[in-house]
Amino acid sequence: MATVAQRISILLALAGASLRSEFQYRANAVSAVISGMIYQLTGFIAVWIIVARFNEIGGWSLAEITFLYGMRLTSHGIFYACFSQLFEADRVMVTGEYDRYLLRPMPPLLQLFTRKLRVNCFGDLIGGLLLLGFASAGVDVAWSPQTVFYLVLAVTGGALVEGAVQIMLGSLSFRFLQTMSLRVTVNEVFNLYGNYPFTIFPKALEYLLTFALPVAFVAFFPASVVLEREDGLHVAPWLAVIAPLVGVGLFLVALRVWRRQSRHYQSSGH
Amino acid sequence: MTLARNLDALVAYGRMATRRMYIYRFNVIMMIVLTGITIYLLTLLWKAAYGDRTEVDGIPLQSMLVYLTIANLQLRFLSPEMDQDIQERIREGQIGFDLNRPVGYPGQLVAGAAGQMIGLLPMLVVAVPIAFVAGELRPPASVEEGFAYLASLVLAWLVAVQMNLLIGLVSFWTLEMTGFRMMYRLIGNFATGALIPLWFMPDLLRSIVQLLPFQAIAFVPVSIYVGEPATGGIWSALALQAFWAVVMVLVIQLVWRRAFRHTVIQGG
Repeated sequence: MATVAQRISILLALAGASLRSEFQYRANAVSAVISGMIYQLTGFIAVWIIVARFNEIGGWSLAEITFLYGMRLTSHGIFYACFSQLFEADRVMVTGEYDRYLLRPMPPLLQLFTRKLRVNCFGDLIGGLLLLGFASAGVDVAWSPQTVFYLVLAVTGGALVEGAVQIMLGSLSFRFLQTMSLRVTVNEVFNLYGNYPFTIFPKALEYLLTFALPVAFVAFFPASVVLEREDGLHVAPWLAVIAPLVGVGLFLVALRVWRRQSRHYQSSGH
Repeated sequence: MTLARNLDALVAYGRMATRRMYIYRFNVIMMIVLTGITIYLLTLLWKAAYGDRTEVDGIPLQSMLVYLTIANLQLRFLSPEMDQDIQERIREGQIGFDLNRPVGYPGQLVAGAAGQMIGLLPMLVVAVPIAFVAGELRPPASVEEGFAYLASLVLAWLVAVQMNLLIGLVSFWTLEMTGFRMMYRLIGNFATGALIPLWFMPDLLRSIVQLLPFQAIAFVPVSIYVGEPATGGIWSALALQAFWAVVMVLVIQLVWRRAFRHTVIQGG
């Protein structure tokens, strides 16, 4: 059994290899990063125009919404950098590529994650950090090492929440093989609804996007904590504060679900 | 007789495309569901923006919500993907077969797009209820505006198809157009006015968008539908679309002639 340190070094080596292979075609990789960033920023520009025209939305100012948007986008960038291959799970199982993962001395899920890197995730990351940078100057927050630390935790936790949900949905592929449309739809709900203050949603939707699908934990809850906007929350403030922990918890549960469901894997044979 | 024979051939192309649409029906339904999710969010967002006001800049909230619903639904149906087909045919060298056919290549493509559109129409049975639940659907502002909207839709389709065809023709020069196509989609999404109607765009942005053909695809028809025609009157709005439809015909003729001479048939 490999030690944790060995495992991490293998993981890093694999991640480095996929990064190098992407940058073999340098111009292509760079243009993917740039177009990814532009894609995300135009989504933001639409919001910016609306908020600038109407001064505020759901009681949140332009700077606050930019901050929320930036947090979500950064989380999504991390999620996409680490877990983009979950979207390929169907193919990996149908073609029997998963057989190979079972033969190697490394958890199959980690092998799936490091299968390939989608470089446009760096576009999301850069875009998200840019928005966060701009917004952090405009919002009314007394920045201290603690708040910055919490922000880092929160952004990582947000990525884990999205990752957990996609791992659970991906594990359904062991039984049903084709779950792509479900996963794309859910991903789209995170992408669309995660960027806005929940104060603009009807009550039922607020609860739905908190407990049925944990969208609120990705960015809205931690952003409310950093911005001290707990007043508008539909849940007890402590639940918002522990959002990063919820991310870790959900992720651990997701790993268990994956392991259980993987027993249903039926190789297509080679 | 050639015209009649060509017409038969074109109708056959159309039928093939209609059948192809039927094969992908599950994908189409998924895209419609995603459109519904988008429409619902836009509805919430704009309701929040309006706040307690029932009217902003002379646009009632009700009209605004109907606008968003119809514009986004319509855009889902008016998004031809010929550009990808063209690129694929060129990459695989099959473009040689297409060009050898007695019917012109642009004609084949437009006939295919028409067939695809016809294949999509039954999907309205799914799309309209979804849009009704997600957003706000009302009958058009008046009977006259209803008919004008239908005419405007046809023109919108003509502009959408031709713009897509034009982008596809770029593949005759370069096959590396992922970035280019993405830029086009982004500008397109914005400039059609489906997310933010031109009424609410900042002045500078609006004056740029008004010079582009994209508005003919969503903003012009839907603003007629809700009774706030883009140019102030129905006829001038339709004329604006017709203008772009004709301009596109001319541009495509010009570009096609050059593209044809530039054809590279890979492999074969």
